Amino acid sequence: MALILGLESSCDETAAALVTSDRAVLAHKLATQEAAHRPFGGVVPEIAARAHVDVLALLIEQALEEAGVALKEVDAIAATAGPGLIGGVMVGLVTGKALAHAVGKPLIAVNHLEGHALSPRLADPALQFPYLLLLVSGGHCQLLFVEGVGRYRRLATTIDDAAGEAFDKTAKLLKLGFPGGPAVEAAARSGNPKAVPLPRPLVGTAEPHFSFAGLKSAVLRARDAGLYAPEDIAASFQQAVVDCLVDRTRRAIERADGATALVVAGGVAANQAIRSALETLAAGHGLPFFAPPLWLCTDNAAMIGWAGAERFALGLTDPLDVVARPRWPLDPDAETVRGAGVKA
Amino acid sequence: MILVIETASTACSVALIDDGQVVAHVHEDVARGHAERLVPMIAELPEGGRADAILVNCGPGSFTGVRVGLAAAKALGLAWGVPVTGYSTHALLAAALFDQQPDLPDALIAIEGGHGEVFVQNFTAHPLTARDALRSLPPADVPPCPLAAGSAAGRVSADVAIMIGPDARHARLLPPAFCCLPATAIYGRAPDAKPNP
Repeated sequence: MALILGLESSCDETAAALVTSDRAVLAHKLATQEAAHRPFGGVVPEIAARAHVDVLALLIEQALEEAGVALKEVDAIAATAGPGLIGGVMVGLVTGKALAHAVGKPLIAVNHLEGHALSPRLADPALQFPYLLLLVSGGHCQLLFVEGVGRYRRLATTIDDAAGEAFDKTAKLLKLGFPGGPAVEAAARSGNPKAVPLPRPLVGTAEPHFSFAGLKSAVLRARDAGLYAPEDIAASFQQAVVDCLVDRTRRAIERADGATALVVAGGVAANQAIRSALETLAAGHGLPFFAPPLWLCTDNAAMIGWAGAERFALGLTDPLDVVARPRWPLDPDAETVRGAGVKA
Repeated sequence: MILVIETASTACSVALIDDGQVVAHVHEDVARGHAERLVPMIAELPEGGRADAILVNCGPGSFTGVRVGLAAAKALGLAWGVPVTGYSTHALLAAALFDQQPDLPDALIAIEGGHGEVFVQNFTAHPLTARDALRSLPPADVPPCPLAAGSAAGRVSADVAIMIGPDARHARLLPPAFCCLPATAIYGRAPDAKPNP
């Protein structure tokens, strides 16, 4: 059994976790920066980077103490090396490098997206490769065919906004608060999902991709029309996102030969309406459905530690001069998608 | 044995100092490559840079460079169980300047800040003393002085301007009182973001 220290600092959560190769999370310490970013209505990179360097070492110390292990008992240090806000990524990666050097243990530079992609396997040993993964977060919205550790085939991506971005922007437009995902979901609970006619961009089209920019603009128009309660707009927006995700995922299921399961991961996978709609979709196609527990969907260090454990088991470690990457696609061979720009 | 980590400028610089003597050092101009070079450079030092204490530049200077240095220093301190303290860029430059030019009574240390401003602080020599607090000013607002040193020395009104940059080896010249800052970044200015509710 291997013991891995996982570090995460790519956006607005700073976290350290101790995870074993037999799926035990011995400790997880997380400091969220929500309060620091709230006045800005979004994550400010410089504020995020400052907060990461202030708290990460302390979180590591607390995690070691909680797990009752000494740093020298750790078999490898896994740190997010991208993609993400580069100032924060550097803090976590350099911390990981220095720890690895000091205790003479290997460094594993983890792709944050691989952390999300493999997190369902930490939660449930029954999940085997290959599987179809819907990765939905504030920065990404992709359908991936997961063949194994480090082996991803991108089937679809967003040509503009990520789903989580659409939630954040909708929350901002409706003045529901930050972060937007939970705020929209809470407001939607008391709203009517059929009250506001909103578009379902790209639904039913032959191309495989996602688009949410037009939906966001439609939310703005609905708000300015002055005819609808914010709760009804929130509920109708959430339903439109659910319909888009389900339609695009259905299309991928029909083409993902050999997939043994449908899996959802990433921060937006914490949304209950999205989880239950995907569960129904999977059942309709006779596929088992996996969604990590909510705490594993949003950014955390346990998934980085777990991705580290999966890579460590295959002998995949990295040198101390490994580069932090603001962009790092899981499938570097995926073809460029019109308009997708950096989100490909 | 003290490990000095200096990453606040375009230089990535580390040194092992024992009883005021530089035992080993590595110094490279890396521009923006601190996150890649720093830890391998420490690993190149004797015993992998293992020390009884760590001394790190807290800034001001490159925001990213300062954070890379602090992240590494705090991690090594945690792993080795040794104390981590800091010094300021201005104190280091003043100590180096007064060592190179022992006849100087005082100097203004001026380094590049953000948005066209300069970070300035006045020091006197023998013993090294800070005469005022660190300030971020437009160059035109800096009172004229006989001698300025640092990366922005040429942008303030001074009779003599000396270009000088930080080097980890110079930490041996810092009096103990200038080596006991908490390991927290000195940015010198707030983030640029404006609230946008």
